[in-house]
Amino acid sequence: MAAHAHTVKRYRGLMDWLTTVDHKKIGILYLIAGGLFFIVGGLEAMMIRIQLMKPMNDFVGADTFNELLTMHGTTMIFLAAMPMLFALMNAVIPLQIGARDVAFPFLNSLGFWTFFAGGVLLNISWFAGNVPDAGWTSYVPLASPTYSSGHGVDYYLMGLQIAGIGTLLGGINFMATIINMRAPGMSFMRMPMFTWTIFITSALIVFAFPVLTVGLVALTFDRLFHANFFETGSGGNAVLWEHIFWVFGHPEVYILILPAFGIISEVVSTFARKRLFGYSSMVFATVLIAFLGFMVWAHHMFTTGLGPVANGLFSIATMLIAVPTGVKIFNWLFTLWGGSIRFTTANLFAIGFIPTFVMGGVTGVMLASAPADFQYHDSYFVVAHFHYVIVGGLIFGIFAGLHYWWPKMFGRMLNETLGKFTFWTFFIGFHLTFFVQHFLGLLGMPRRVWTYLPNQGFDTMNLISSVGAFLMGIGTIFFLVNVIASAAKKQKVADDPWEDGRSLEWSIPSPPPEYNFKQLPLVRSYDAWWNEKQKGNAEMPPAEPVGSIHMPSPSILPLVMSIGLFAAGLGFMYDHLIIAIAGLVVTFGCMFLRSVFDDHGFHIEPEEQEKGVHV
Amino acid sequence: MASNHSASSEEETRRHRAEGPQKHIVAFVMSLALTIIAFAAVAAGEINQTFTYIILVSMAILQVFVQMAFWMHMKDRGHLFPIFGILFGVIVVFTMVIMALYWVWW
Amino acid sequence: MSAHEHADGHLPHEPEKATLEGRNKVLGFWLFLGAETVLFGTLFAAFIALRHQTLDGPTADHLFELPMVFAATMILLFSSLMSVFAVQAMHQNRVKAMIVWLIVTILLGLCFLGLEIYEFNTYVSEGHQFATSAFSSSFYTLVGFHGAHVAFGVLWIGLLIAQIFKKGLTVVTAPKIYVSAIYWHFIDVVWVFIFTVVYLMGKVG
Repeated sequence: MAAHAHTVKRYRGLMDWLTTVDHKKIGILYLIAGGLFFIVGGLEAMMIRIQLMKPMNDFVGADTFNELLTMHGTTMIFLAAMPMLFALMNAVIPLQIGARDVAFPFLNSLGFWTFFAGGVLLNISWFAGNVPDAGWTSYVPLASPTYSSGHGVDYYLMGLQIAGIGTLLGGINFMATIINMRAPGMSFMRMPMFTWTIFITSALIVFAFPVLTVGLVALTFDRLFHANFFETGSGGNAVLWEHIFWVFGHPEVYILILPAFGIISEVVSTFARKRLFGYSSMVFATVLIAFLGFMVWAHHMFTTGLGPVANGLFSIATMLIAVPTGVKIFNWLFTLWGGSIRFTTANLFAIGFIPTFVMGGVTGVMLASAPADFQYHDSYFVVAHFHYVIVGGLIFGIFAGLHYWWPKMFGRMLNETLGKFTFWTFFIGFHLTFFVQHFLGLLGMPRRVWTYLPNQGFDTMNLISSVGAFLMGIGTIFFLVNVIASAAKKQKVADDPWEDGRSLEWSIPSPPPEYNFKQLPLVRSYDAWWNEKQKGNAEMPPAEPVGSIHMPSPSILPLVMSIGLFAAGLGFMYDHLIIAIAGLVVTFGCMFLRSVFDDHGFHIEPEEQEKGVHV
Repeated sequence: MASNHSASSEEETRRHRAEGPQKHIVAFVMSLALTIIAFAAVAAGEINQTFTYIILVSMAILQVFVQMAFWMHMKDRGHLFPIFGILFGVIVVFTMVIMALYWVWW
Repeated sequence: MSAHEHADGHLPHEPEKATLEGRNKVLGFWLFLGAETVLFGTLFAAFIALRHQTLDGPTADHLFELPMVFAATMILLFSSLMSVFAVQAMHQNRVKAMIVWLIVTILLGLCFLGLEIYEFNTYVSEGHQFATSAFSSSFYTLVGFHGAHVAFGVLWIGLLIAQIFKKGLTVVTAPKIYVSAIYWHFIDVVWVFIFTVVYLMGKVG
């Protein structure tokens, strides 16, 4: 047929990376970008800890300190943690469900580039000399034009708005992928746990991010066009911002933690060489956590004075979340119970995750009690709590996932000895840093303070905390060394390098060819690959004959669209409407081109597949 | 999945081809009536305020239900996930409206 | 099956769902509408919270004219009906009829936009500007977002009509038509809540 004759220009080198629509390459792009922002956010954290190392320190000024803590929070949440999750999602999900790509490869690329444009826009604020300094929550009236008159908060608003578009696209894309693109035989209740958590996380993204979009638009209008959403003098309401922010913000923390739950489930089950204990209760718990996650936002606002009824309701709803979370904890423990456990680096991070996350969860229940929260509110107790769940939960999960899937993503193992150094320095450093902060908070040290007076009982614990932060930094350096060392080695790993792989990604080469599966696999059970191995099969049973494979063509448009948005953001901020409009014209022009010119893609013929079209 | 798509929908095809615009016109007339009731309730201006609110909200919800079922094809087969999607969106919106009504001013 | 296998043969019965690409597009768009529901819901929540904060500016009761709102409502409702006729024509493979319905759809959309611009102009001349009060800011943002969606829909469907002329109705263009129709109905659904919550309830007080 004539259709097979399409020739598509295929790029090499840098152009290949700028135009790729391959989910595996986009995953690597997310990892690199997220990793860079992680280092930036980490350096900001180090500077915060150096400043707080001793009382009355003057390492940075008070203004700079405010900028550092704002950028640290914003960068870590939106530009480091979420992209690294998207990296793992992209690298693994299509492989786990037995698909050749995501539902919308073009949008996938667009999602990455808009996130990157937003992240860069936010961070060039350091060079523009106008850095956001109203905290990552950007509460009004502090962030209002009256009290933040420079362009700092504008960078926050524009950067997050643009990055948010990318995240929303990613959420829609992965939901559609998981619903529509599963391999034959893979019913919902045969999906690996990581796929389930990504499915639910994507749903949370789809329903939570529009709230942030509206909040950012409203604050942007207040700042740029003199609207009065949050201007109390003109009838606006500052508490409305808190509501809008947290209606988004609370689901956001579940967006972060649920994928970590999924990673831990996969890693624990693989290295205990046992089926995940209580799979269906795990699924149910995930869904329940996601649903409740939308109903608890006001527990961030107990001290605004919502009244006893609201505070009571949100207290109880928050405590309820502990139930499905507890179900998960026990399921992991029972998965480990009686298993023949291998203590690989990935598994060490997973096992370290469990008690750490329990500690973060317990302080969460403490904070959920409204009367007690009046005591903890805005103290270092809160800082300790959310670092226990985000670093001790999410970052441990990401490290576990990276060590676990690294051979699948890059075809090279990470060094286990260096990996163990990473784990122990990071793990010990983490607990040193944040455990004492609970007590600093209980002693009354408020969060977000630039410095403190000596002899209030804060001195020693702050020093311990700073030492721990350096250890975490060293752990991260070990990881980077490991990455570089593995990149230097020319090593080709087996399809199933851990030998105990359970899900479909381990049934194909590492790294997978660009079409992933030569023949789509037929899934006959949960833990499909493990069960085929138990039956003595060396590969998955195919669900289709070998044939020509249709692939989407690469495109530069997503990059151009993001550059357009970037320019538009800057233009609006600095009142250069011409630049703003030009930017938008570029973006919409690309949408026009994409709509008018159909993408016919290209085909990879069976002969070519024999040769092995590797990345 | 592709397989269960072709077989069961032969019937549907015939219905699609045969069906006239009747059901859409019915949906239109219903929407029209519900709109007119809502406007009339306000134009009349002498009804109790709470009662008017109840009429307005129920007319709106009914009309949206009609339009989504018929015009957006949500009553048709294969719309499980669209229904989930909209429904969950509505739940989130509902909590936010409660928030706007009770927890912003006090 | 890939998009091309149908391109030159005759069209399957539901061309928008004939390919995996098409089914993905329809599903993905529905999920996007779920997100849009929350987007408009948040704007509604902000409006509801701020609706009485008029300060010295005109109140909703003073401002709104029921006949004009009714006219806008009718235009959009008719437009939505035209759009469903277009999809029906597509299912029956009557391309010419489909194009006619689509053109009527966007013409009505343009009328709606014209009316809205006129309405906003009137309000501004009555001292109800964007920066007048929290009420005015949230009103213009909510109704303006809806208007922007209408404008985008008009441009989008216009572009699709041009594509149908050029490429004909295929399994590539059919999902686009179907999805744009769903979008258009969704805009009408949002308007139902706008005329109820903003205008009618504003009139009641």
